[in-house]
Amino acid sequence: MSGDQECTSGDLLTQALAGERAAFAALVRRHQRAVYSLALRMLSDRHAAEDLAQEVFLQLYRNLSAVSSEAHLAFWLRKVTMHRAIDRLRRAPRLESAAPEELAAAASETEPADPLLARRLRALVAELPAAARAVVLLRYQQDLDPVEIARTLRMPLNTVKSHLRRSLAQLRARLGETAVALT
Amino acid sequence: MSDNQENEQLEQRLRTALRAVDPGEAFAPRLMARIAAEPARTARPARAATAASWLAFGLAASVVLAVILAHQWQVRRLEQGREARRQLLEALRVTDEKLNLAYRAVNAREGAAPAQHSGA
Repeated sequence: MSGDQECTSGDLLTQALAGERAAFAALVRRHQRAVYSLALRMLSDRHAAEDLAQEVFLQLYRNLSAVSSEAHLAFWLRKVTMHRAIDRLRRAPRLESAAPEELAAAASETEPADPLLARRLRALVAELPAAARAVVLLRYQQDLDPVEIARTLRMPLNTVKSHLRRSLAQLRARLGETAVALT
Repeated sequence: MSDNQENEQLEQRLRTALRAVDPGEAFAPRLMARIAAEPARTARPARAATAASWLAFGLAASVVLAVILAHQWQVRRLEQGREARRQLLEALRVTDEKLNLAYRAVNAREGAAPAQHSGA
């Protein structure tokens, strides 16, 4: 296959379903950023995030026939990534609060205009409970609305809204504490 | 600054801080190498699913067989109970008849004895 950019994900999906590995590789390249980023911010560990992202795509490869469309593919990848990440955090609670150096390493991959504030925000998000963190990531990294988040995490809509409200309040308060401590 | 403005600012900062990052160029080749290296593993889930469905079928069949056998055993016990009851009633009826016969014979003998005395 030459140039994945010319094909839509739908075309690639059809070709991958027909057994074309190159088409599957192109699909992976299209979605690896979203899957890896979710895993990274959930686990706060680059190696664990890459490992989880690879497992998600392997699972996709084995269950490709269950995916019916481009939109379904994106939904499926987000859902499997978040559920696997939450499961992993349950099994290995030490990942719940990652070591500061791991957070710093994860942060160094992308530095916005205010790197210190961004790093602090990522550290605060990493301290949220797994379910709340998943909701915040789907909202502010993947730009999903609360209804889509509820579907992805199989969570009642009101619980999603409540997680968002409480997490924002908590993040605001903790950021305020940091600002006071710095002055 | 109002609460709404503060929230909007925080949301904007979150979007920036949490923006997606790429795992790197090597990610997809590494994954494809893993896929190529384990062709047998892709077939395993299908075999496992077949085995699981056979196991489920076997379990369901065993349960159905156990229910049928238990039902038959209960029916046989009921029939045996009815038969025993019938035989008991029959035995009681026969005994009753014998006793009646004996009673009548004794009564007849006792009725004949005074007549012989008065005649003598």
